[in-house]
Order: sequence, then C-alpha cells, then structure tokens
Amino acid sequence: MYRKSILALLTIWCLSLFAPVANAQDADLQAIIQKFATSKNFNQTKAIVTELAETGDASVAGVLNALSDGSVYFRKSDNQVFVVPGSGKTLELFDPLTGEAAGEAGKRDLKKVKVNNALRRSIRDAIGGLTLASENPSVRLTAANTLAANPDVEALPAIEAALERETDDTVAKRLRQAQASAILISDRSLEDKTNAVNVMTALGNREALAFLTRFEAQADGELKTLAARAITKIEKNLKLWGMGQNVWYGVSLGSVLLLAAIGLAITFGVMGVINMAHGEMVMLGAYTTYLVQEIIRNSMPELMDWSLLIALPLAFMVSALVGLVLERGVIRFLYGRPLETLLATWGVSLILQQAVRTLFGPSNQEVSNPSWMSGAFELGQITITWNRLYILIFALCVFAVLLWAFNKTSLGLQMRAVTQNRRMASAMGIRTPWVDALTFMLGSGIAGIAGVALSQIDNVSPNLGQSYIIDSFMVVVFGGVGNLWGTLVGALSLGVFNKFLEPYAGAVLGKILVLVFIILFIQKKPRGLFALKGRAIET
Amino acid sequence: MILTHFLKKGLTWPITLTILIILAIAVAVPFSNLYLDPAHPLHVPNHLVGLFGKYLTYALLALALDLVWGYCGILSLGHGAFFALGGYAMGMYLMRQIGSRGVYGDPVLPDFMVFLNWQELPWFWYGFDQFWFAALMIILVPGGLAFIFGWFAFRSRVTGVYLSIITQAMTYALLLAFFRNDMGFGGNNGLTDFKDILGYDIQASTTRAGLFSASAIALALGVLITAAITGSQFGKLMIAVRDAESRTRFLGYRPEMVKLFAFVVSAIMAGIAGALYVPQVGIINPGEFAPANSIEVVVWTAVGGRGTIIGPIIGALVVNGGKSWFTGAFPEYWLFALGGLFVLVTLLLPKGIVGTVRDGWAKLRPAKQAPIESDTTQKPADQANSQPQAAE
Amino acid sequence: MTGKLKTLALASLASTIMATASFTANAQETIKVGILHSLSGTMAISETTLKDAMLMLIDEQNKKGGLLGKQLEAVVVDPASDWPLFAEKARELIEGDDVASVFGCWTSVSRKSVLPVFEELNSLLFYPVQYEGEESQRNVFYTGAAPNQQAIPAVDYLMENEGVERWVLAGTDYVYPRTTNKILEAYLKAKGVAEEDIMINYTPFGHSDWQTIVADISAFGSAGKKTAVVSTINGDANVPFYKELGNQGIKAEDIPVVAFSVGEEELAGLDTAPLVGHLAAWNYFQSADTDENAEFIEKWQAFIGDENRVTNDPMEAHYIGFNMWIKAVEKAGTTDPDAVIDAIVGVSVPNLTGGFSAMMPNHHITKPVLIGEIQEDGQFETVWETSGLVVGDAWSDYLPDSKDLIADWRAPMSCGNFNTATGQCGGKGVN
Repeated sequence: MYRKSILALLTIWCLSLFAPVANAQDADLQAIIQKFATSKNFNQTKAIVTELAETGDASVAGVLNALSDGSVYFRKSDNQVFVVPGSGKTLELFDPLTGEAAGEAGKRDLKKVKVNNALRRSIRDAIGGLTLASENPSVRLTAANTLAANPDVEALPAIEAALERETDDTVAKRLRQAQASAILISDRSLEDKTNAVNVMTALGNREALAFLTRFEAQADGELKTLAARAITKIEKNLKLWGMGQNVWYGVSLGSVLLLAAIGLAITFGVMGVINMAHGEMVMLGAYTTYLVQEIIRNSMPELMDWSLLIALPLAFMVSALVGLVLERGVIRFLYGRPLETLLATWGVSLILQQAVRTLFGPSNQEVSNPSWMSGAFELGQITITWNRLYILIFALCVFAVLLWAFNKTSLGLQMRAVTQNRRMASAMGIRTPWVDALTFMLGSGIAGIAGVALSQIDNVSPNLGQSYIIDSFMVVVFGGVGNLWGTLVGALSLGVFNKFLEPYAGAVLGKILVLVFIILFIQKKPRGLFALKGRAIET
Repeated sequence: MILTHFLKKGLTWPITLTILIILAIAVAVPFSNLYLDPAHPLHVPNHLVGLFGKYLTYALLALALDLVWGYCGILSLGHGAFFALGGYAMGMYLMRQIGSRGVYGDPVLPDFMVFLNWQELPWFWYGFDQFWFAALMIILVPGGLAFIFGWFAFRSRVTGVYLSIITQAMTYALLLAFFRNDMGFGGNNGLTDFKDILGYDIQASTTRAGLFSASAIALALGVLITAAITGSQFGKLMIAVRDAESRTRFLGYRPEMVKLFAFVVSAIMAGIAGALYVPQVGIINPGEFAPANSIEVVVWTAVGGRGTIIGPIIGALVVNGGKSWFTGAFPEYWLFALGGLFVLVTLLLPKGIVGTVRDGWAKLRPAKQAPIESDTTQKPADQANSQPQAAE
Repeated sequence: MTGKLKTLALASLASTIMATASFTANAQETIKVGILHSLSGTMAISETTLKDAMLMLIDEQNKKGGLLGKQLEAVVVDPASDWPLFAEKARELIEGDDVASVFGCWTSVSRKSVLPVFEELNSLLFYPVQYEGEESQRNVFYTGAAPNQQAIPAVDYLMENEGVERWVLAGTDYVYPRTTNKILEAYLKAKGVAEEDIMINYTPFGHSDWQTIVADISAFGSAGKKTAVVSTINGDANVPFYKELGNQGIKAEDIPVVAFSVGEEELAGLDTAPLVGHLAAWNYFQSADTDENAEFIEKWQAFIGDENRVTNDPMEAHYIGFNMWIKAVEKAGTTDPDAVIDAIVGVSVPNLTGGFSAMMPNHHITKPVLIGEIQEDGQFETVWETSGLVVGDAWSDYLPDSKDLIADWRAPMSCGNFNTATGQCGGKGVN
C-alpha cells in the first residue's frame, strides 16, 4: 500500500520533470509552496493548497500528493520546504517542485506540515483535474472517482476529452458516471439529459441511485418521470445484487468455518479424539506466519509478497510436530476412551495458550496482507475483497487435497482402515500406532495451515484458537462426524444461513438462531447431515 | 420406587460419613468465623468463608453433572447454563430487594434499566420481589428447560457426541442471548450491587455464615438425593442405560424416560447451586453461560472421579482450591500448573482421585466385591465431545 | 530470530523471578499496593501492559525513597478475565494481603463486580479506563475518561471540521457502547441531526466477520451526505473490523471512523497503512510532544526491555492516579483510606501532555481531550485538542434520568448521586 503510493508519487514526479514548464512560473510556484512552512493551522494550509491548484500547473501534483501522504516537511532553521518520503533518524530531502535531491537532514531539524482528512480530501479534489491525464491508470481512477462523487459542470469538457482517449474500462466507466452526473446538473439539452439518465441506470450503483434521488426531487416534467423510473429500476437491481452479495458473504464465512473445522474433521471426526487443543494448533499456524513475516521484514523485505507461501509449509510442520508430540505423549494412551482425550487436550490447550503468551506477549501481533491479497474488485454491484476470495479458493484446495489423500492414497486407505476397525487392520499388517500418529499429525498440520489463512482476517493473539473451536465442533457435528463432505457442506450452509439472517436479525440474534437451528436439526437427523452408515459408528 | 428402596436399605457407610462431614462443616466454619477470636489458630477469616461457600456450590454443580454423566452416560457440556439460570433467578430477586437504594433511587426499576431509559418493568421481572416466587423459579426454570430440551433430544435418540454438542450449543446460545442488553437481564454487566437477602444485609458476616451453612446443607441434601437415586432400582436402570442403551430398550424399558428424569433432577440441582452461588460472589453475568465454564465442570468431575458420589465433590474442591491459590501465588504461570494437572490426572489417574483410591483399597482387600459403580471408565457408552469458549 | 526469542523468553522469566524476589525480600515494613489486572483470558491482551506499567511506577517510586519512609511492595494477582474472580481477588488483596490501595480493572463488569467489596471493606480502587459514566463511588477514583471527556468532543470535531451530517454508531453490545451511543444519540438530535441520519449497530464480543456490516456502512455512506462512523467496538473485534475496512477500500477521507477504544497498543497488531486518517479520541497519545512524556516513554521501554513497546492512554491514567495517591498519602501522612479519601480531592499532578490533572470532588479527574489521526507508523498525530482541561462528569447531562444528579464526596455532602432538583442524596427518587 505504502509502496504503491510512493510509486504513484514517483510517476507524477517523472511526468512533471518532462513537462515543459516555463521557468518564470517555477519561481512563483516555489514561493507559494514555501508558505507551507509558515502555515499556522489546517485552514491556512488549505488556502495554500487551493492557491497551488488554481495555478493549473500539473507540476504541483507531486508536492500535493506528497503533502497528502504526510511527507512534506520544512527545515526549522530556514523554513525551507522539502519532500521527505522516507523515515528514520536521518532523512533524504527532495525539492518539492523538481523532485531533485536536496541533501539530508536529521529528523529533529525538520518539522512536518500537518494534514488531516479534510485537507487530504481537498488535495484529492484539487488534483483530480490535474491528474486525469496521468499515465498511471490508478491515478486516473482516483481522479475519475473524485469527479464522479462531486459532479462539476465546469469539468465537463475535461471529462469528455479524457473519455475519448481513455483505454482502461474501469476508469472509463467512472468517467462516464462523472460525465452523466455533470450533464444532469448542467443546462444541456433534454436529449443529452435523457441519455445521461439512461447511462446512470445502466451503471446502477448506489452512488448513481443517490444522485438520481436528489436529481428527481428538483427535476420536473418528463425528466422527473424518467428519473423516477430509473430509480425504481436501480433499486430493484440493487436488491437482486444484494442477494448475490449475501450469498457471497455466506460462502466466504463458510470457507473460514471450513478451514477452521477441517483439521478437526480428521482428529475428531475420523479419529474420535475430542481435540480441545485444535484451536491452539490453528493459533500456532498463525504465529508461524507472524514469525516468518517478522524475519522477512527485518532481513529481506522484497520477499514480503511471498511470505504466506513460505509460511504454509512451515506452519504445517510446526503444528504437525506439536500434534505428533501430543499424540505420542498423551493421546495414544487414551484410545478407546474418547472422553479422557477431552480432559487431556483441554489441559494441553491451556498450556499452549499460556506458553504463547509467555513467549510472545499477550497482545496482538501484526500480520500484514501481501499486496496481492489487499483491496477488492467489483463484480457487478458486489464488492469482493481479494483476501476473502483467496481464502475461499485456498479452503477448497485444502479440502480437495485432503479428500484425495484420504480416498486415493495407500496412507488414506490405512487411516480409514484403522479408524474403522483397529484390530482387523492390525491383523492385516498395518502398523496402527504409526498410522495413528500420522493421522493426528495430518489433522494438526491442516489446522496449522488454516492458521496461516486466518491470520489474514483475524487477530493473531493467544486467544485466536478459542474463538474458533466452538464453531469448528458445531460444523463437524452438523455435517456428520467422520465425513469430510459433511464438513464441507455443513460449513458452507451454516455460513450462508448465518449471513442471510444477519441483515434481518442482526449479528447477535443471527448467531443465536443458527445455534437453535443446529439444535433442532440434530433432533431431526441425530447423526448430522451426512450420517455414516454401518456399525462402526454405533457405540 | 426410589423412596421405598431407600427406606428399606438405608445409606451405605461412606455416604453417611460424607453427609455427616458436610454437615459438621456447615456448623463448624460459621462458628469459627463468628465466635472465635481472629487470633485463634482455628479462626476462619471472612474472605475464606465466602470462598469456601463458593466451592461448596461448585461441588453441588459437579455432583449434579455426575448424576447424568457418571451414572446415566449423558455427557452434558451445558450444565453451566442450568447453574446460571438458577443464579439469574436468585439475582433477579436480589435486584428487586434493592428497591430505591440503587444509584438512581428508582423504587421499582433496577439501575441498569433506568440507565437504558426503560420506563417499566418487563413482564418476566414480575413476582421476583417475593422470595417464594424466586425460589420456585430457581427450580422451575432450569428444570423446565432441561425437560423441554431433554424431551426432544432423548426422544429423537440424540446420543453421544451429538448430544454433548447440542447441549453446548444451548449454553452458547443462552450466553449470546444474555449478553444482549435488549433481553432485560443487564447485558454483559449482569446483575450486581445486591443489598440484602430475606431482609438480612448481604455484606454482614452473619449473613455470609448463614449462606455458607445453606450451601453446605444443600450439598448434603444433594448427596442424599444422588445416593438415594443411584442406590435404588432406578439407579440400576440408569447404569444399564449408560452401559447398553439399546439392550435396555429391547428389554422393554424406556431409556429416554430414565434419561429425562435424571437430566431434570440434575438441572434442578445445578440451578439451586447457582442460586446459592450468586449471593456469595455478589454478581451474576452471562460469563457463567460460557461453554468453557461447563467444560470445567466436566473436568472437576473427571478429576475427582466420575460415577462416584464423593468424587465430583473432591474434584470441585481440589481444582478450584488450586485455581484460587495458583492465581494468587503464580499469576503468570498458573495456567501451566492447571493444564499440567489435567494432563497428568488423565494419564496417571484415569478413574479420577476417588476411583483410583478405591481401586487401591479394593486391591488391598480382595475378598470384597467391587461396588457396581466402579467400572464406569472401562466401557464408556458415552463418548465424546467438545469444546470451549466464548468471547469475553 | 530464535536467538531474539530466546532472549525475550529469558528476559521475561528473569524479570518475573526478580519481581517475585523483590516482593518477598523486604516483607517487613512495606506499604503494599494491589494490582488487579487480568494476566490470562480474553482481557490479558489489554490488561497485562497495565500490570507492567504499575510495577514500573512502583519501582520508580521506591528508587525515589518509597512512601512515608517505607518501601512500596506490589502484590500481583490474576483475576483471569473472570468477573466473579475479580471480586474474590479484591477481597483477598484487601483482607488477606492488607494492601493500602488497589490499581486495577478494565471492563465495566469487572469494576461493577468489585465495587461492593471496596465499599464493604473500605479500601481504595484506582480505575484507569475510559468508561460509560453514571457512577461515582466513595472508594473508587476514576482516572480514565468519562463520556464528556472523549465522545462528545470527538463528535464536535467531526461536525465542525469534517462537516459530517450522517452518523453510524457502531459498538459491541455491552454497557459502555450502549450508554455512550445513547448519550451521543441524544446529543446529535439536540444538534439537529435527523433520525434517519443515525444508524446504530451492535455486534457481539469478538465479532470477526465484518463483511455485512462494513458493506452496510458503505451503503449508508453513499447517500450523498458526509458520513462518519463512531466506533465503540471493543478490543479483539477491532482488528478484523479495520482489516475489512481497509480491504473494502473505505478511506478515511470518505468515511472516517473515530474510535474510543483503539489506542497505540491495539494498532501494534495491525498494518496501519490502509488506515491512515481514521481517528481516535483519547486524553493522551504517545506522540505527545512534552518532556514528561519523553521521559516516561524512555523509562517504560527500558523497564520492559523493548524499544518498540508503545504507551497508551490507560497507562497515563495509572501514572496520574498513582502519583495522585502518593501525593494524597503524603498530604494525609497515612495510608488510612478515610484520610486519603479526604486528602486526595483537589490534589493536582502533572499529566503527560504538558498540563496538570486534578482530582475533582466527584472522584473523576480533569483531562485534556485530544483527537488524533492514525499514521502509517501506528502512532496518532494530534489534529485537534481542547483549549483547556475538561472536568470528568460522572452523570451525563444528556440522559433524562441523570441530568439532575451530581457527585461530591467532600463533607458535608458526601454523596455520589445528589439530586439537585430535589436537594436530596439518593438518585432521582420517585417521579
């Protein structure tokens, strides 16, 4: 994110370097920029920003962007203004207009020109018009967004000119919206306005709806009915999209539940160990991610985007190893006594939580999103965030791999054999203790990689595991113990059900209703959604 | 059936002894606290009276769980819910007793309702200004919930881990519901700032001593009832259901009715424990519904020895005593100690403290036949289940 | 990295052993100070820092020669985020360990749980966290902010400087957000904000799936009026909330979020780059540019052995509260609670933002109110502050049942809920 804005900054600088600027003007601009040093408050700074923007000179975009990012400083000794992009004790200075290096200074010798939200907003508005011609599509998008949100009749010619040369679809769409809203408040012909309303209807987003609603209130005649019709249409459309949005949210929540529960579906569902330490295995995975990112941040920041991929195998190994120790040290003495595993693993979960708390401290640890997982994209009127999408894909991949391992490998065959009939399997020459250990390791390791994914959306703290364990057990039991498909269907349907209730009942009541639903459902199907048939499961 | 058998056979000597010890404590501790000089070596200071009183209510809760789990094979992970409901019923009575002494001085509305701008008392708060009504509710609400829940669950033949998980879902749903301020039970803060009970100042040491005695007597009664039930023909039926439910059914019994009876009795015991707990700790809030709390009750019972009457009592006292001491003595490391205790007990004392001691005793005296309860851990018809913790 | 970890573990072990050793070393003739903060369970995340801050303050005071010629001794217990356990531990501290005062609690419910104990045993509690108000108790000193020292100035700022016309009041469903939102709703309506321009939303503790709510906020904010979110979302739920905000691309310039429970400590667990410009209202920021603060931060980081550890508002509250207690004890010449309660009203000590905070007769203190914007480095930059100090108001003027109430613990009034309309102590009475 930070790097992105720096990139934008540099692009603009480069642009401004090549821009054929008259030197006489430069001196004037410099004089205005230097006023930042003596600005007493946000209002004065804002006045200076407006003054700069009114020069209409594209070369001020650089300094304005820098100001917005909080990297404009002045030297206390001589009130000279610089752009200072870095951080640290000694800072490199750059000329605000030309972008040339201008020496170094200690942090204590400099003072920052303060900005707040209102100021950032006016900067954005000010440079909106200036950057429509930028080569970087994301800069143009920002400009187009600003214009779409604040329709301006005077900007109409500039928008139309920009629209002609625009090649990027997203930007063009926003520009069309800006154009249409500007036309509606201009004094153009009825035909133009009718077209504009149609454009807005086609866009059909909330902004268009809000704008049309305001427009309808003061329009008259034919346009009024047209706008009213457009509003109904957009509203109907949005309602449909809202359903889609809910499904997406539900599936996304379901994928999180699936990830949290799938390791448990093995240790609990297949092996019958009431594994209360399952949540802590997830937590260990999340902490592994934190450690990996910490090392990368300190020694090789360029690998940051790969951090999650690096963390995946490590998290699997860490949790699997802890799982192995747990199985060999405690659980193997307890087979056939499932209840005791509840007690022992409950104790283990307390110990693991406190161990992590002692080692890393009780507070949240920072795990950042790699850039490819940040942000969102629009699908029609639905906003889909990248991290949720990747988590969904990831959860399905994990599920598929697990299913394959269970059904198509010889290890999977042995696992199923041992859990279904231990003595028979043993008689067939399967080394049951070894298979037990491997199965438990697999379940724990899967929990570990779930932790990597969950670190992207939740707190990484010693309490992480506790917040998922109840839901995990609900999912496994709802889906049917011992059945991986049940876990998948259970997780997704609970997620969607929850998200459909939430808008009507609120988050709290929604969750309560889901629990009541599970209780009632179990009355109807006492062995869960996908009950295993046969004697093995009878107690 | 239970009663006649009980009258005919009387109590076994360990049970009689246990009841006598509990009753002796019910007298001795308050006496020592009130009448002995603080410098006397046997003097029990005020804060310990409250603390021990709390442990006794926990012991009653653990005993209630043992009745369904140890003797009937129903592993309930939601017993904390019955405890908390009993506690809320008592808390509502205590709230109404505050009257106009609350900070806003409203004669009827509890402070938190004034605070949320409520204009009148919700209907479900009516009647709680009368102790008899509250006492009735302490029995009816947990018992009623257990009846409805059990009626459906046992008839649908929900067993094992599925049953455990839905009991957990029940307590979790109640937790979330009671957290809601709109429910009218004080939200997260719960009910607190009690002034008096039955006209006695709740902070007076005589009242505390009285509550202590009441808890001890309730526990003694709980032991008596559990012993009576489990020692009867019906108790044998419970064990039959635990060990071979299908076979019991084929023999013509109705296991769901056996379970339902045990479940309801147990829930009522838990509710009474909760009701005695609240005035002694001075607060009831939704945290008591947390699934982790219910799991802890299971842990106490297992540590002490399930399927025995003395076991859960000892387990509750040992674990909670340890927790109180550890959190003061090693605030940073007590979870290691507690967690380690659970692991070690499971591995080394699979039958819990009491079970292990009794087996050792039985080995020393091989001639005598082991009592019927002793084989609980061998063939657990129960099963499994689950987990923990809500936010907060 | 593992090396660093090991040192970290060793250091924490060593410091604990040393701390334990120092508790027991000079058992005779010390003044005991109780520290009642959760070190495990859900609240450990926030409260552990306060325990460390108290240990540091006590340590510093001992270096300066202790109090009344005696050394101070910290007694640490772990109430484990379990509310009834708070009451039990408070009783143990006061009756068992005979502490002179207790510094502790975070959540409202933990404070409510221990109140009767402090009242009954007549001891002192210093409570360092911003809270919902509507309370004033003789034995408790509220060194955190009351709603008028945090929420109302923040809303004023947004209205005046950001031109906000539409409000989302989002909170966790417990008493602090409920009350704060109630006060804010009354306040906003008094300022002419229409009913349909206020959206109130409550979520459960530890809520982690914010997709729907963030989308709702975004939709609510696209109606063409400037919209802001006032967040009283508690602790753990904040990280996923802010992550979702960042990912759905809600920028501070469009829909600013002002939070009352998010400080430097909470931001330490977040990548703040997408959050630049979102706001928080507190009475202290680590970025405060004063000598006292620089010294405090330096000592804190040295004490904890980590030069990246942050400070936050509740720590400052303990700093103020502890110094007030020291000063009051010196003034009274004894640690006797009654004498200290009499002596402490009017005591004024330096705070870390360059002024003096005074204990008022209602047992709340005077504080400046600062509004800060989140920066990329996880710190706040102050964008606005009150010109003077604001007196903590125990009873809100915006709630109908408490607007006539005041608290004054000086003789002859000595009342926490005096009704100015009826002229009587004891709340609003029959109306």
